[in-house]
Amino acid sequence: MTSPYWALILVLAFAAFSIRVVGLFAGDSIRASRYAWMLDDVPGLIVVSLVAASLAGQSFQTWVAAVVALSVALSTNHVIATMAIGVLAYAGLAWIGF
Amino acid sequence: MKHGAIAILPLAAGAALYGFAFGLLAAQVGFPWWGVGLMSAAVHAGSSQIVAVEQFANTSAVLGAALAGAALNLRYIGIIASLSEVLQGLPLRVRLFAIHITGDENWALTMSERAKAPAIGASFLIGSGLVMISVWTMSTTAGAIVGAVLPDLEKFGLGFAFTAAFIAMARGLWRGRPNALPWLVAFGATIAVVLLGLPKAFAIVAGTLCGLLASYAVRRHRSAVA
Repeated sequence: MTSPYWALILVLAFAAFSIRVVGLFAGDSIRASRYAWMLDDVPGLIVVSLVAASLAGQSFQTWVAAVVALSVALSTNHVIATMAIGVLAYAGLAWIGF
Repeated sequence: MKHGAIAILPLAAGAALYGFAFGLLAAQVGFPWWGVGLMSAAVHAGSSQIVAVEQFANTSAVLGAALAGAALNLRYIGIIASLSEVLQGLPLRVRLFAIHITGDENWALTMSERAKAPAIGASFLIGSGLVMISVWTMSTTAGAIVGAVLPDLEKFGLGFAFTAAFIAMARGLWRGRPNALPWLVAFGATIAVVLLGLPKAFAIVAGTLCGLLASYAVRRHRSAVA
């Protein structure tokens, strides 16, 4: 494993644990502050931006597979089912030459 | 402690499946199996890990990938803050250990069991957390071992699994209509920035900031109407 992999693990571990420590010592005051809404909103906005970044400029096949995955997510709210059916839809569309 | 360890088993089984899938994906983008296991034990945050690995595979930018992953963990400020009573009176080293092994599942189970029986406390949280972090580390490692011996599955659409995982995460984070406009703004802004030819990491930050501005506007409008 090269040094960037090590760096990623160490930086992510440090950042994730720091957030927990902030919650332990300052969580109550942060939750009571006027910026508390950002804590609720940022995770969802990042995930939506990640979806958009992975779809931007991609083929029609990818967008159709994303719509399939979205409908599975909406109906099941299950991560594994969404991943499995999404990948199957993507591969199926590629196989029929969509 | 044993009570928590047994009570969490059904939830741990679900996490194991997700962990195996994550390990498989991580191995396919170049992570060795022991690196995946080390990351799971040291980070212990599923959605953060999957985001960081996907970003790292696409951009090779360590800091950007780690920050994108860590930002998903911001909810833990609230989660850990809600444990202040549970952890009260414990030595600092035990509290630090307890917050590391706390995940969504064992936190939710501890809080719901505590609502029914106030005697449920730190020992239940730690017992269930120990099972969760062990299962998470073992299942992600097992997935990475399998993923490393499989051929490159990209041509079968495995790369799309990350997109599908993000879509599923978004579904889990949806909190109703007030999210609609900010999410649309974030989605549109990210697409626009990528199409302008700027790096995806920059587009994700720009999309998130635009979404935050929209969310601020929605909140101001709602409080003005109320």
